[in-house]
Amino acid sequence: MPDDTLRRTATALVVLAALFAAWAGWSWYAAAHDDAYAYSRVRDEVVRAGEQGVQNLNTLDYRDLGTGLETWRNSTAGDLHRQITEGRADFEKQVTKARTITKARILDAAVSELDERSGKARVLVGVEITVTPPDGDPATKQSRLIGELTRTSGGWKLSKLGQAPTEGL
Amino acid sequence: MRRLLRLYRPFSVALAIVLAALALRPAAGMLREDENPRDKAVLDDVATTEVIGDVSTSLGKVFAYTPDGVAATEQAAARELSGAALKQYRRVFGQVKAQVAAQRVTLTTRVVRAGVVSLDGDAARLLVFLDQTATRGGKPDGTPAAAQLLVTAHRDHGHWSITELKSV
Repeated sequence: MPDDTLRRTATALVVLAALFAAWAGWSWYAAAHDDAYAYSRVRDEVVRAGEQGVQNLNTLDYRDLGTGLETWRNSTAGDLHRQITEGRADFEKQVTKARTITKARILDAAVSELDERSGKARVLVGVEITVTPPDGDPATKQSRLIGELTRTSGGWKLSKLGQAPTEGL
Repeated sequence: MRRLLRLYRPFSVALAIVLAALALRPAAGMLREDENPRDKAVLDDVATTEVIGDVSTSLGKVFAYTPDGVAATEQAAARELSGAALKQYRRVFGQVKAQVAAQRVTLTTRVVRAGVVSLDGDAARLLVFLDQTATRGGKPDGTPAAAQLLVTAHRDHGHWSITELKSV
């Protein structure tokens, strides 16, 4: 008789455990295979990458050009990356001569297009850029930027960037 | 003792299943971890296109006037804006109105680009880039002004109206 009670308890536990496992497994499967969630995660990733990229490309200190321009290179892909790499020497000369410090503050950003399949996205970014010359007061202006992002093995990176409205963006 | 030993198997099976379930459940939660899981910006392309369309059209009507068409602009504002946006607009436009007629000012607004920042049910926030061109007495009044607005919109009976306007 006590054997029977124990056996029934054990069976009941197995059934309950199986039900709990089935529910947990189902919710894991649903989360992992939910396209909408996957897409919205990519969208949030693209906004973050766009904001960070714009922030990086509008930040430069003439006293530490090496680090600054390396960040520029790491934040970009495609055409923009090539332009930065090719124009680097000239650009370094210009900034060293002008002795400016540029800082950026992101105001707001939105994704306007996102094609997961081709790994391309477009973002609108409102940014406030402050340029401090060697002598004189810092000048602040607001900029409306449109950026194209491309998915790379190292995450989403800016492949084009321009003022709105702008050709080809 | 032998009886207890025989039950060792079902208990350990139950324990193993529970452990597996305990591991899967938080994993599902982690997969879903999101800033706002209900945010459908860009994802819902129909609503995204609609809200951009409605808001752009509204801004084009509300931020446009001619010396003799002030009433039409006010009517458009009453139609397209509501809540805080309408109150704020009326305060500003009340001050501008007199000059519009006296100095023969016209204003046109063109939405250059707009993107949806967030979209949750019937509420949306947009980042809008717009160009404003003014003329005074028939002559261009400077170059087009570049502006950025953060717009809050609300959907009512299928139409998005602007409830808040903030210059970025």
